[in-house]
Amino acid sequence: MSYVIIAGISFPIVEKPEAWYHFPLIPGLGENAKIIFFHVPTAWITVLAFLMSTIFSIKYLRKKDLDDDGKSQTALELGMVFCILATVTGAVWAKFTWGEYWSWDPRQTSIFALLLIYGALFALRSAVENEEKRATLSAVYSIIAFVTVPFFVFIMPRIMKGLHPGSADDTNAGPVVNFKMNSNMYLVFVLSVVAFTILYFWMWRVGSRSLNIKEKLLKNYR
Amino acid sequence: MEGLYLFLEKNSIYIVMIIVLIVWAGVFLYNLKLDKRLKFIEKEMKEGKK
Amino acid sequence: MKAYHLFRKDLFSEIRNRYAINSLAMFIIVTISVILFSVGEETISDYLSGGLYWVVVFFTGMSGLARVFVSEEERGTTLTLQLIARPETVLSGKLIFNLVLTLAMNIVITFLYSALFPAFVIKSLMLFFITFILGTLGIAISSTIIAAIISKAGSKGTLYPVLSFPILLPLILILINLTKISMDGTPFGEAIMDVLFLASYDVVMLSVSYLLFDFIWKD
Repeated sequence: MSYVIIAGISFPIVEKPEAWYHFPLIPGLGENAKIIFFHVPTAWITVLAFLMSTIFSIKYLRKKDLDDDGKSQTALELGMVFCILATVTGAVWAKFTWGEYWSWDPRQTSIFALLLIYGALFALRSAVENEEKRATLSAVYSIIAFVTVPFFVFIMPRIMKGLHPGSADDTNAGPVVNFKMNSNMYLVFVLSVVAFTILYFWMWRVGSRSLNIKEKLLKNYR
Repeated sequence: MEGLYLFLEKNSIYIVMIIVLIVWAGVFLYNLKLDKRLKFIEKEMKEGKK
Repeated sequence: MKAYHLFRKDLFSEIRNRYAINSLAMFIIVTISVILFSVGEETISDYLSGGLYWVVVFFTGMSGLARVFVSEEERGTTLTLQLIARPETVLSGKLIFNLVLTLAMNIVITFLYSALFPAFVIKSLMLFFITFILGTLGIAISSTIIAAIISKAGSKGTLYPVLSFPILLPLILILINLTKISMDGTPFGEAIMDVLFLASYDVVMLSVSYLLFDFIWKD
């Protein structure tokens, strides 16, 4: 319940970034700059969900508790949803800023790789019937995938030249977040990321609890 | 299609709107899935009581 | 039971029925001829031929490298292996076998490819050699651990490339990049960063597969 209250308080602030009319718009981006309040949080949640899925996978392998597998799977589902959202919003933004929907920028490659990993995990999960076996195999695979992902999300976009802010040839390289933002914009940005994170955790809790109840019901009646 | 593209290029706040709608559509779809799952649970619970 | 004995057993059974070797050899021919047909009369640029080389390696590897664990599962010898050998020994034996197989496959592909594609000219051989060795290592390690997962999952054939591709993607991207660099004739010192990435990928995958193999193997 507390999550709901916090989320309810923070949403009205975040949903109207237009309420601040004092944005000095980023040169070359114009009004498009406001996409950042929705694009970056989705990308961040994609990585966060993947991290949480791996943490619960490790927990499952240690304790063999099927509830942990349900939590891991819910994080995967949410990660898949937000991964698609980040890819699509990024592609639309790229169309109007870089001129192409898809140009194999290192960051686009990395989000594509994440999408592939999520897809492979779902394929693996649907292929195995036995619950415990499915949980073990998907846990192992997601850990293996997690050790290769840093290559993509964190290292490769930084060392390779690209169009996305934060690339190696960007003049103000560094964290993507703090480029050319004034304090107003920064505040909205941080609030938006926090609100999306809360929204994610809320959805994740509802999703994992309902999934686990469903699994238990199915077990009882079988 | 061409006219739409030009319109969006000039009034880029609508692109922001499209992006926002896409994001909320994704969240909505996930909630729809949750709703389906809860319906299933409710049905099973009722059948279990009988 | 030592890893070496397991390797010898696999090698002898492979020599007897030659399933993996035959399918690998046929796949090399098929993939290269498909590329040759689709190219037709066009001339391939140098960089493209470097990239296509790793396409051949990837698809050939996907056809035969899953055999090591799937064959045990098919013959029903998994339980026996679980009884007589420790998990690490099994993984080491299978890893050595896959490594030899991948190395043989890559050597054949390299010779065949450089004979058939005139554009595929490597200027700095030293760099390409190191890329080749580290790439072979990486492909062998990743494919072995994925093969172990596949053998425990139900559908064997179709799932293997699906699961391997995301894991091998960082490796293949760096390999293609390094091949391009070595075609330019860049000295070894300038490409040290990419080579280090390649080496760290191999080390990370090796340690992770030894850590996680227990969970896959005994259940």
